[in-house]
Amino acid sequence: MKNIYRPIESVIEDIKQESPNITTYRFRPKEPLTFAAGQFVELTAPGVGEAPFTPSSNPNVTETMEITIMDVGTVTHALTKMKVGDTVGIRGPYGNGYNMADFDGKEILIMGGGVGLAPLRSLILALFDDIDRYKKVSIRYGARTPEDVIFKDLLPEWEKMKNTEVLLTIDEPAPNWSGKVGVVTVLLDDLPLLTTVDVEGLPFSAETAVACVCGPPIMLKFVNIALLEKGFKPENIYHSMERNMSCGLGKCGHCMMGELYICKDGPVMTAAQVASFEDPF
Amino acid sequence: MKEVFIGRENLLKLIGRWAKNQRVYVPVTFDIMNNPETPDYELVKEEVPDKLELHGACPAQSPKTFLFYAREVVAKYPSSDPEASVEAPATIVVGPRACDLDGLEKFDKVYWSTKHFTEEYDDPFYIEKRQNTVLVSVDCTASKETCFCTMMGGKPYVDDGFDLNISPLKSGYILTSGSDKGEKLLEGSDDLFTPVDSNHKDERSRSRASVTAAVERQNAQYAVDVAHDKHELGSNEAAWAHVTQNCVGCGACNRICPSCTCFLLVDQRAEGGYERTRNWDTCLSIGYARTGGGGNSRPNLPQRLENRIRCKLEYSRDRYGAVSCTGCGRCIDVCMGRIDMREAIKHVVTEMAKA
Ligand SMILES: Cc1cc2nc3c(=O)[nH]c(=O)nc-3n(C[C@H](O)[C@H](O)[C@H](O)COP(=O)(O)OP(=O)(O)OC[C@H]3O[C@@H](n4cnc5c(N)ncnc54)[C@H](O)[C@@H]3O)c2cc1C
Ligand code: SF4
Ligand code: SF4
Ligand code: SF4
Ligand code: FES
Repeated sequence: MKNIYRPIESVIEDIKQESPNITTYRFRPKEPLTFAAGQFVELTAPGVGEAPFTPSSNPNVTETMEITIMDVGTVTHALTKMKVGDTVGIRGPYGNGYNMADFDGKEILIMGGGVGLAPLRSLILALFDDIDRYKKVSIRYGARTPEDVIFKDLLPEWEKMKNTEVLLTIDEPAPNWSGKVGVVTVLLDDLPLLTTVDVEGLPFSAETAVACVCGPPIMLKFVNIALLEKGFKPENIYHSMERNMSCGLGKCGHCMMGELYICKDGPVMTAAQVASFEDPF
Repeated sequence: MKEVFIGRENLLKLIGRWAKNQRVYVPVTFDIMNNPETPDYELVKEEVPDKLELHGACPAQSPKTFLFYAREVVAKYPSSDPEASVEAPATIVVGPRACDLDGLEKFDKVYWSTKHFTEEYDDPFYIEKRQNTVLVSVDCTASKETCFCTMMGGKPYVDDGFDLNISPLKSGYILTSGSDKGEKLLEGSDDLFTPVDSNHKDERSRSRASVTAAVERQNAQYAVDVAHDKHELGSNEAAWAHVTQNCVGCGACNRICPSCTCFLLVDQRAEGGYERTRNWDTCLSIGYARTGGGGNSRPNLPQRLENRIRCKLEYSRDRYGAVSCTGCGRCIDVCMGRIDMREAIKHVVTEMAKA
C-alpha cells in the first residue's frame, strides 16, 4: 500500500529574501507534485519536522514549486539555515483550494496581510493566466512597515496587468511611503461599490463579487466583518484558515474545528461555512 | 456459525494451540501491592498464563493498543519507495468487549476510509494490522462502577460483527464463531469441545440480562440519553469551567480511550537518514492546537476538555455518523481528578437547559 506519510525529496533551487523574516524558496521535487491554487503541502525540514504551507508559485508551473515562508518557529527557522542544493521533503497537495470556476465573469478582491500575500500569489498568478475571464482583479495588501512588504519587485508588474489594481498600506507612517497608512481594513474604506455614488475605478457589485482573504487571524476577523457590512455574500468570501496541522490527511485531529477538518474541508473556507462558529478565526 | 462449550483447562490448551502460529494476547490479572488490578494484556509465551481472566468488565487497555501503536515509525527518508513498509504479524487479541469493538468503528472510519467513505487517504499502518488481527470478543459478566455503555446506546455483550465470541459461564465458556476467521480458530480442536446445552444458553441469557440491568441501574441517576437525544452541549463557559475544576490536562483520558484517534508526527535523525514516528496525541495538551508564532485556538484548559467531550458526542456524530464514546469508563478510571464523563455531560446539559 502507498505510504501517505512519505515526503518526496525536493531540491532547493533558489532562495530569495523577501523581507527581514520572510524568504521564498524554489524547490524541484524529484517526483511529480502538482497543486491547485489554495491547496497546501507539508514541507519537511529533514530531521526537524513538518509544517503546512500553501505554495506561492503559479499552479500551472508543474516542474518546480515556490513557497514563501516566515521564520516563526522550529521548522521555519531550520529552513533558514538551508542552502541552494540542499534537499527537503514535500508531501501533498492537500485540502480543497479555490473553486475558480465560480470566479468567471466576476470582480475579484484579494486581501492579504503580512506573509498572507504568499499563498494568495499562487491564486493571483493563476488568475493572470486567464485574466480575460474576470471582470477585475483588485489586490489589496497590508504589511507592518515598508520593509515587511513582500514581492516588492513583483507588485509593480502586477499593477500593469489588464483589469488589475494593487493597493498597499502599512501600519504606521514611514518616510518615502506613498501608499496608505493604517491596518489592512483601511483598504476597504473606499472600496468602489456599485451602490456608492461617485465611484472611482471599476466598481464592485457586492452581490456577486468574490473576496479571497489570507492573513493573521485578527485580520480575517475584521476583514470578514467589513466585507459583510459592505454587502458581500458570505458564500463569496473565501478565508484561508490557519490551524495547527500534523498530517494534512484528515486523520491526526490537530486541525479540527468542531466537526470540520481544516486540512480537508479547508484550508479555504467561506464565511458562510464558518458562520456558526463563535470565533472561527 | 458454530457454537461449542469448553472448560477452562481446555480453553488454555486451545489458546496454546493458537499461539503456535501467531502472536496471542490475553487479559491477565496482576496483583499490584496485593491489590488485584483490572486485567491487562499479556503476550502468550511458552504457556498460557493461568492468571488469564475473562470474567468481569473490559481490560485496562482497549484493542487500539494493538492496531494503532502508541509510537510507530511510519516513514524513513530520504526514500523514493512509494510503498509503506508495515510490520503486521498475524495476531489474536482475546478479551475486547462490545464497547471496544464499538470504539474501533471510529478507527475504521478515520484510517480505513475507502471501506467506509470515498476518495480518502487509506492508512497502511492501521489497515494491515487490522487485517492481520483476529479479535476474540468476550461478554462482560460484571460491570465496573464506571461502565455506562447502555447510556451510549451499547450493550455489555456483542451480538454481531465479531470473529469469535467467548461467553464466560460458571463452569466454562461458550465459544461462538461469527466469521470465517473465527471458525478457523475452532478447526481441528474438536477434542476440546462439548456441545452447548440449553442450561448453558439459559445461564448466558441470564448473565447478559443481569449485567445490562446493572449498568442501566448504576447510570439511572445521570438520566441523559446522549446517544439518542441530539444533544448540543454548546460552549457554556461557566459550565465547562466547573467541569474542568479538577483537571490537570494530563491527557491520560485521551490516551486510554478506545476511540481517540489523534496523533502527532515527529521527525528525528536515524540510521541512514531520518525517520518519522507517529505518536498518540491528546487534545488536552496546550500545544495541540498551537499554531506557528504562538496562536492557539484552545489556549485554556476548559476549552480543551470541552473539545474532548464534544468531539466524542457531537463532532464524531456530525462527521462520522456516530457518537464515539462507547461508555467504557476508562477515562474515569485513569483520571487523577476523578472527572466523570457522565457527570460532566449531565452538568453541561443541565446548565444549558437553564440558560
Ligand atoms: C494551510 C496553511 C498554509 C500556510 N501557508 C503558509 C505560508 O505560505 N507561508 C508561511 O510563512 N506560513 C504559512 N502557514 C503557517 C505555517 O504553517 C506556520 O508558520 C508553521 O507551521 C510554523 O512552524 P514552526 O515549526 O516554524 O513553528 P513553531 O511555532 O515552532 O511550531 C508550530 C507548531 O508545531 C509544533 N511543534 C513545534 N516544534 C515541535 C516539536 N519539536 N515537536 C512537536 N511539535 C512541535 C508546535 O506545538 C506548534 O503547534 C500556513 C499554515 C497553514 C495551516
Ligand atoms: S485524565 Fe483527567 S486530569 Fe487528565 S486530562 Fe483527562 S480529564 Fe484532565
Ligand atoms: S477527544 Fe481529542 S484526542 Fe480524542 S479523538 Fe477527539 S480530538 Fe482527538
Ligand atoms: S470517552 Fe471515556 S468512556 Fe467514552 S469511550 Fe473514551 S475512555 Fe471510554
Ligand atoms: S492536519 Fe491532521 S487532521 Fe487535519
